Amino acid sequence: MKPRLNVLWNEIYCKRCLLCVEVCPVQVLTLERNEIEEKEGCIRCYQCERYCPDIAIEVMDEKGEK
Amino acid sequence: MDRSYKELLKLRRFPHTWCPGCGIGAVLKNVAMVMKELGWNYKNTVAVSGIGCSGRMSGYMNLDALHTPHGRPLTAAEAIKTVRSDLNVMVLSGDGDLASIGGNHLLHTSRRNPDITVFCNDNEIYGLTGGQAGPTTPQGTKTLTSPRGEHHSPLRLGRILTQQAPYFYARTTVYHLNHFKTCIREALLWKGFSFVDIISDCIELNGRRLGFKTAHQMFKWFDERFHIVEGERDQLQEDELGIAKAVVKEVPRPAEKEEVKPEIPMEGLKPFTLEELERFDGQEGRPIYMAYQGKVYDLSASPLFQGEKRMRCHLGGKDLTKDLDIAPHGEDLIFKFPLVGKME
Ligand SMILES: Cc1ncc(C[n+]2csc(CCOP(=O)(O)OP(=O)(O)O)c2C)c(N)n1
Ligand code: SF4
Repeated sequence: MKPRLNVLWNEIYCKRCLLCVEVCPVQVLTLERNEIEEKEGCIRCYQCERYCPDIAIEVMDEKGEK
Repeated sequence: MDRSYKELLKLRRFPHTWCPGCGIGAVLKNVAMVMKELGWNYKNTVAVSGIGCSGRMSGYMNLDALHTPHGRPLTAAEAIKTVRSDLNVMVLSGDGDLASIGGNHLLHTSRRNPDITVFCNDNEIYGLTGGQAGPTTPQGTKTLTSPRGEHHSPLRLGRILTQQAPYFYARTTVYHLNHFKTCIREALLWKGFSFVDIISDCIELNGRRLGFKTAHQMFKWFDERFHIVEGERDQLQEDELGIAKAVVKEVPRPAEKEEVKPEIPMEGLKPFTLEELERFDGQEGRPIYMAYQGKVYDLSASPLFQGEKRMRCHLGGKDLTKDLDIAPHGEDLIFKFPLVGKME
């Protein structure tokens, strides 16, 4: 599990299908050098986590916890 | 966000084997989420799968699971439900498995209406074997085996499974997540055979050939093709997502008639001993008598008691009470004949 600004990303489970990148309504997630990176601006809508078929991304709550 | 559904998945086997973006992962995850909400777990639930990419789902569930031969998950599930009616039984499989090779089982299992829930990952293709056209492939779709477009029209599962009440048929997609979860929940709670037709993406072997680059583009395509309909329905059109269900109205059964056996007075009947009875064996023009439960009947008119020459099913002049108990017919056959006496 690799922490990003607001999400935790599991690089082993992730298959880089880019669903999270595409469903994010504010488009803060990107794939860079084969890693999911996050820019500022997450609105904590949980869309990426809900759509991820591989349980590879989790949105942390405000306190930065799971 | 509640992530306790993860305990229903065998995470040590993750990442699972499905392609990047494949909808089967979403089916697995959402079914696990709803099961968790309903309190279904390894103690009270069994998952059954057939063969195919979708057939691997039961293997990732932290439950007792059965991986059956191709097309047979419904049969196995019904058998489990029959012997262990206390268990929740669900089938997780693919459209090819359930509707093609298992099509006959689908018809007859749904007709018998066992209390099982079927989640059909309907990716409109045979995924595992390389993307051949399957029973639900829409007409005109280019696949490995139909490079100029599928020639035949698809099987309309929604029509077939909603022909005769009782039924529960839901159509949803992996894109319409809230609707998807509602369908799962209602199907799991439905008493009787419930079928959830989950339109899902096989991005690698179907989507790419159709020109989609990512799973999300296929999701958008689902959104164009289908729309959600609310409320109680008894049929769904081919472009509608929703739940079609019906129950049979209980018809009160006619009260069973009580059978009245004729009670014949024993007094005044001629008494017979066994030796006397034996003389009435049908030989030399004598009548044929036989005893049953202490009464003697004249069976001369019966074709089954015609002396030595004819069909010798039974011998005359005997007490046949024991024989009648093991005979394929009942005692009513004897009551038709005239009563002539009683045994001493
Ligand atoms: C008796 C038998 N016939 C054929 C096959 C080959 N086969 C394996 S999976 C499959 C298709 C499965 O399609 P579907 O149920 O749609 O699952 P998907 O892979 O699309 O998820 C076929 C034909 C087999 N394994 N066994
Ligand atoms: S072949 Fe298709 S159905 Fe099978 S795992 Fe890949 S995307 Fe999913």
